[in-house]
Amino acid sequence: MNARAILATLCALCLSSCFLAAAQERKQDPKTVASSRDQETSAEATDADGATPAAAPSPKPTPRSIEAAERIEGEKRFRTNCGRCHQPPHKFPPRVMATAIRHMRVRANITDEDQRLILKYMTQ
Amino acid sequence: MNHKFRFAILLTAILASSSFQRPIHAQSPIEAPQETDQSENEKPVPIFTGSAGFISDVTGGSPDIHPIFSGILLIPIGDRWLIETRESFEDDMVQEPGRPGFHGPLQKEVDYAQLDFIANPYLTVTVGRFLTPFGIYNERLYPVWIRNLQSDPLILPIGTGPSNASTGAMLRGGFAANPAVTINYAVYFSALSTVTPVDSERTAGARAGLFFPKARLEIGGSFQHRLQDERSNLYGAHVIWQPLALPLDIRAEVARSQRGSGYWIEPAYRLTQLPFWRNEMRRTQIVARVQQFFTGELPSDDLPPVSTQEVEGGLNYYFLDGLKATANYGRQFSQAGNANIWTFGVTYRFLVPLGRTGSQQ
Ligand code: HEC
Repeated sequence: MNARAILATLCALCLSSCFLAAAQERKQDPKTVASSRDQETSAEATDADGATPAAAPSPKPTPRSIEAAERIEGEKRFRTNCGRCHQPPHKFPPRVMATAIRHMRVRANITDEDQRLILKYMTQ
Repeated sequence: MNHKFRFAILLTAILASSSFQRPIHAQSPIEAPQETDQSENEKPVPIFTGSAGFISDVTGGSPDIHPIFSGILLIPIGDRWLIETRESFEDDMVQEPGRPGFHGPLQKEVDYAQLDFIANPYLTVTVGRFLTPFGIYNERLYPVWIRNLQSDPLILPIGTGPSNASTGAMLRGGFAANPAVTINYAVYFSALSTVTPVDSERTAGARAGLFFPKARLEIGGSFQHRLQDERSNLYGAHVIWQPLALPLDIRAEVARSQRGSGYWIEPAYRLTQLPFWRNEMRRTQIVARVQQFFTGELPSDDLPPVSTQEVEGGLNYYFLDGLKATANYGRQFSQAGNANIWTFGVTYRFLVPLGRTGSQQ
């Protein structure tokens, strides 16, 4: 097989995987998605009490419900951001995580809010 | 003491130190006394981190052994400062006619040595020597424990200079434009330095990206103006997409300059969805990369001398967080002749805190 044929086949493979991904994305429910991806971290995620920011409907949010909502949001942002360049890391002790996340804030240009919430999720 | 021996000692020391690298829940209360003050417990501590890799490849029949070690020192100061530096030691050892074994000089590089000041949520100021933010590979994917395929993309030298680093100042940041989009940017100026191992070119440039968190999609572009030699402009564009539905990463880059142009596309798929051997499969990743390089009007010492195409495939197996084994095959096509490239290796990322680590709340 010559170079051009191999290139064409691989480009076709890349493209079809994009289409497949796009098609599946539309079909699949986000909850099953979270468990199919980031397997290592989903184990830690299951101990969250199931509340989501939207599912905390109490009219006066208590410090506890804010904590829980922030934790869930932190986990979401961890999943969105921390596996983008490398495998999502496991949890390190809080002061180590604080340094690593400050490093990532500079390197990965994650936002101030991402830094705060991810640190919260990773250290609690 | 010869290089290989020194390298082996360094590697052993690092692997031994990895016993520090435990998940947080493994920490005993004796080692981590309870601190009452929450902020004290989350005060960043200096860390020594980095990676080690033992890579061997066979290009067109000639074997090459390539051990590499990178050490990073991170020193946070107060709430807003960070000193970060990475040094790499690598050896490219080949067989020489008439001599048994593999030989090659040990190379040392100061990859970066920078001071970062987080001025506000929109701006971080960096001074010193920093990785040139042209494209995504150099800054984000270069370390051996991160890269999916062990060989560099052919277009990596475009825009990253002789040593992948710049010496000067950089403004950068990331902020949410609205809940659906975050913007990231880096603007920099670099001075000429001909002192090894801290050489750099005189350039000014910028990179910007739009990240759509819901789709986990980033698109971005890079620009650089050379302030020496032919004073030309360089352009780049990148895409990173991690579809939510699949454990798939797709990364791609294009770069264009007077010394050469090209692109690479790299899909990587983690086999977490296969219904059999689940434990093994979720640790396994298959990767492919297609790339092309076209020579430019001007010659370059760092880029291939002739237009080249390459297709690669690879398999990565993640034993633990940070430890992986890798096997890649590539076929290169160029006017200089076609070649097969086989690569095998083990890479490892370590992290050692240099102080009290705090305890989980
Ligand atoms: C834009 C790419 C990118 C993203 C996104 C990213 N990282 Fe990193 N990360 C890197 C690179 C590159 C390194 C290696 C640094 C080096 O070698 O200079 C790294 C290194 C690390 C390390 C090793 C210690 C260190 O600081 O070098 C940890 C831990 C880490 N990242 C955690 C995270 C977490 C947590 C997140 C989510 C907030 C994250 N990373 C997001 C690129 C990224």
